[in-house]
Amino acid sequence: MDTLKLKKAWELAIAPAKQLPMNAIGMYMTGNSLQIFSIMMVFMLFKTPITAILTMQPTFARFEPGDESKRGSFWLTKIVFIAMNCLALALGIWKVNGMGLLPTTRSDWLAWETAREPLERAYPGPGL
Amino acid sequence: MLSTLLTAASLLLVPTLAVFADEAWNVDYHFALLGAPKEETSFFHQPNPSSRASLIYTLSEQHALGAVNPRDGSLVWRQLLSSDGIAYRNSFLRAGEGQDVVISGVGHEVAAWSAADGRLVWSLSTEGPLEDVEILELSDGKETAGAKDAIALSSGANPTVQRIDGASGAVKWQFIIDGSDAPYQLSASSTQIFAILIHKTILGYVKLRVVVLDRVTGHKVDEYSLSSENELSTTENIVSVGANSASPMIAWTDSLYTTLKVNVVGMKSMQSFDIASHDDSPIEHVKVHAPYHVNSLSHFLVHYQTATSHWADVFHINLKNGKVEKAYSLPKLAGRGAFSTSTSDANVYFTRVTRDEITTVSSASHGVLGRWPLNTFGVVAGIGEQVEPIHAASEVSVKGDTVSAIRTTILLSTGDWVMLRDGKGIWNRPEMLASTMVVTFALPADAAALVQQLEVEAHSNPVAAYAHRVQRHLADLQRLPSIIVSLPQQIVKGFLGTSADDLTASDTFGFRQVIVCATREGRLVALDAGSPDKIVWNVNVADLQPGQSWEPYLASRIAGVVEVSSRAGAGIQYNATNGQPLAERLPVVPEGPQVPSSQVVLYTVHDGTLEASYNRTPAWAFTPMHGERLIDMVPRPVNDPVASIGKVLGDRRVLYKYLDSNIALLVTAQDSMGTANIYVLSTVSGAIIYSNVHTGVDLTIPIASIMSENWFAYSFTNEASDEASKGHQLVVGELFESLVPDDRGMMGATTNFSGMQTATEPFVLTQTYQIPEVISKLAVTRTRQGITSRQLLAVLPDSNGIVGIPYGAVDPRRPVNRDPTKDEQAEGLVRYTAVLEFDPKWFLNHQREIVGVKNVFTSPALIESTSLVFAYGLDIFGTRLSPSFSFDILGKDFNKLQMLATVAALAVATFIVAPLVMRKQVDQRWRFL
Repeated sequence: MDTLKLKKAWELAIAPAKQLPMNAIGMYMTGNSLQIFSIMMVFMLFKTPITAILTMQPTFARFEPGDESKRGSFWLTKIVFIAMNCLALALGIWKVNGMGLLPTTRSDWLAWETAREPLERAYPGPGL
Repeated sequence: MLSTLLTAASLLLVPTLAVFADEAWNVDYHFALLGAPKEETSFFHQPNPSSRASLIYTLSEQHALGAVNPRDGSLVWRQLLSSDGIAYRNSFLRAGEGQDVVISGVGHEVAAWSAADGRLVWSLSTEGPLEDVEILELSDGKETAGAKDAIALSSGANPTVQRIDGASGAVKWQFIIDGSDAPYQLSASSTQIFAILIHKTILGYVKLRVVVLDRVTGHKVDEYSLSSENELSTTENIVSVGANSASPMIAWTDSLYTTLKVNVVGMKSMQSFDIASHDDSPIEHVKVHAPYHVNSLSHFLVHYQTATSHWADVFHINLKNGKVEKAYSLPKLAGRGAFSTSTSDANVYFTRVTRDEITTVSSASHGVLGRWPLNTFGVVAGIGEQVEPIHAASEVSVKGDTVSAIRTTILLSTGDWVMLRDGKGIWNRPEMLASTMVVTFALPADAAALVQQLEVEAHSNPVAAYAHRVQRHLADLQRLPSIIVSLPQQIVKGFLGTSADDLTASDTFGFRQVIVCATREGRLVALDAGSPDKIVWNVNVADLQPGQSWEPYLASRIAGVVEVSSRAGAGIQYNATNGQPLAERLPVVPEGPQVPSSQVVLYTVHDGTLEASYNRTPAWAFTPMHGERLIDMVPRPVNDPVASIGKVLGDRRVLYKYLDSNIALLVTAQDSMGTANIYVLSTVSGAIIYSNVHTGVDLTIPIASIMSENWFAYSFTNEASDEASKGHQLVVGELFESLVPDDRGMMGATTNFSGMQTATEPFVLTQTYQIPEVISKLAVTRTRQGITSRQLLAVLPDSNGIVGIPYGAVDPRRPVNRDPTKDEQAEGLVRYTAVLEFDPKWFLNHQREIVGVKNVFTSPALIESTSLVFAYGLDIFGTRLSPSFSFDILGKDFNKLQMLATVAALAVATFIVAPLVMRKQVDQRWRFL
């Protein structure tokens, strides 16, 4: 019974990874422009893994093995599940970067850079 | 992420900017001016001899020749006779009786213009400067049929009298006057032409020499001198040389105005009349008014003016024996007076304009034929200032013994040119604005108050800002009753107009700034940029005597206050809203915010050298090389906000702008070589940070230049040579800290620097564009925070227009000889083309003709998108520009009606559908139970 539960848990842990290629293709197809569809897809891309990680305990509670010896590999399934979701998140970050929404370049911080103050000021005198 | 938005926004900006159809004629305004009309050259004349309708012709102080419709004061046509701004001493305008041309004489040129449409009929250049131009009224059978000949007197090395064919402009004969006497004026009778010359005696007195010429052949018939004895000391005392009257005469006075001497030209005798003193104050000037028609009665009027009063005497000339008799006197009246002469058939009428009435008398008797009281001239003047007539021209229509109608144009002491019909104001032309020297924009104090409040809120912490805002709104509640009263009106206006045009409320957009113009006559004239049709106030500040000039400097450092100062003088502050002088007198301080930590360098041009002083000790001097002269010097504006210190590239890297507040563009010329030198100077250290030389430059054509932000632009005309044809060029240069993206150059991220201790040189990119015509002046739009992209404003004197070139169209970073890469496309850069055509959509003046613009002044509005533009010179033109479109205000294209209709339709739909839905829901509940 525990073996079966563990097998199911592994299946669940790997499931996000199975969706990755499809998501990647979808993301590639939507392009890097800012449109309502691509924005919604990116939003879903972020929402799904995060909610999955947050609701991990109830999801995996069904597969909790009774046997103490199986506990270790059950933990492993959880870690793999988090890792897979992180991969999906990484895909989302890659996409957001592609859309230019990550402040990674100099221009993104330009507004916080100030012009140098001159110590002297020159003024045109009267008649100029 | 910001950069993506920026590139997206810049993509939107690439389509060229234009004046929108709904904004033309609406946000822009234009006064087609002539300048102050001169008395001798302003008159009524029928352009079509068969019709009685007349136009007012004038040749103004600014040498603008034009015809004005007397009905509404609109300009029928206009010609600028001196475009290069040279002020000639003499200018003449004559119209022959029953002629359809008017003949002008300015400088060296006599020209005939079609009176109806202002087309040039012929023109003739004289060798020397013109001293007089007259029309030969009486025909002697030698003219081309229908055209009266003109005679011209020119001075110079060979003083000449020329008779010019009225139809073709060909010279029929010319006579060179011998001797060293200065030509003064011409007179003509039916058989002879009299050239009057000024002969200076050894004792320094002036004698009049008259040379008599035959009309037909141009040969000298006679010559005589008028023994004016030692009473005529200067030509200023010659009060009149009548020209085209039945009996031309010369009149002069002694320097104390005690006697008037009159000589009928052709007679060698003269008569003297004592000038009765009516007043304690001495006579200031004496003027003679005589009819300008050969077949009218030979009567004339002498006008005496003192500081406080004026009167006049009327004289008759007996044609048979040349005797002059005093006929009657017009009584003394207070203030200044203006007299004008009009004729009807042979009868002569004199019209007298005083402060409070217009009267017309016949030259034959002193009985008043018409009297019209004047309450006001209908012009704006300073408080307590008495508006006085300076000179007038009238057209009378006579029925029987009374004058049935009179039209009078009067130049007033305020500079307005007004038209009165039977004593009632018809129109008013603000001709004083044609001599505007400097202008400034002043924000009204109430508009500025809100800005200050908002700034306080922006700079405090959120809680304090919130508290402040609540307090402000509570204070605003006090105005609620008045707002409620005006609400219906505002709603109606809101439907008809747009939010941007709602000028009844206080001006939150900063469109209603007060434009203060200082004129050459020493007056300050204010316009409202929001409703520019009327003058807000007009005060005399300099009180200039004839011959005096001033160099005004205007500034508005505090909202609601305008400060005027003449060169190196103390400034006087005026309330911008009503023109009242404020009590305080402040010393002149340099413009702009005073930064306490910074040291001030002052620079000025002295003897063609740019000299700077630091702490009152000379700091540096820029002396042009030998043979070079300084043409222009444009510093970066003192208050020149820049929103972004770098340019974001397509790949989201940054090119840093070289932003130094202390840079100036200098243009010098070397006339012998035909070269123009361009320098960019650091005005703190005097170091040249960029220079360029252009050879083969036509230096007679103006070189316009501008400097703003981190870029400069100048235009010049190169002369035709073997390699290149003549053409006009516009050069744009942009200064960067480094050409390597993401690099801030030598100084890195240091927050301050001293221009004296660190020498940095910018990396300059320049690009030259071939432009279709001369640019006489360059300006640039200015906005409040410098976020909005810039528009380069170029004055085109040849097409009488102003063109607003978007900076993107002349960006020096446009890729040369290749198509732009994807990243460059994202920035909005297009492939460089050497020829820059002025897109018709760039012309700010659209259908208007803006003549004689000397300068363009720009000022930021309170909203970021908009810059106010004001061009002056001869014409006045103003508009509002949104170089990046009006992104912060609803435009006219916003359909309020549609929006309200949508809201209303939705409301109605909700009301109808709500009960249905309610019933359905209730039904459903029942079903489930």
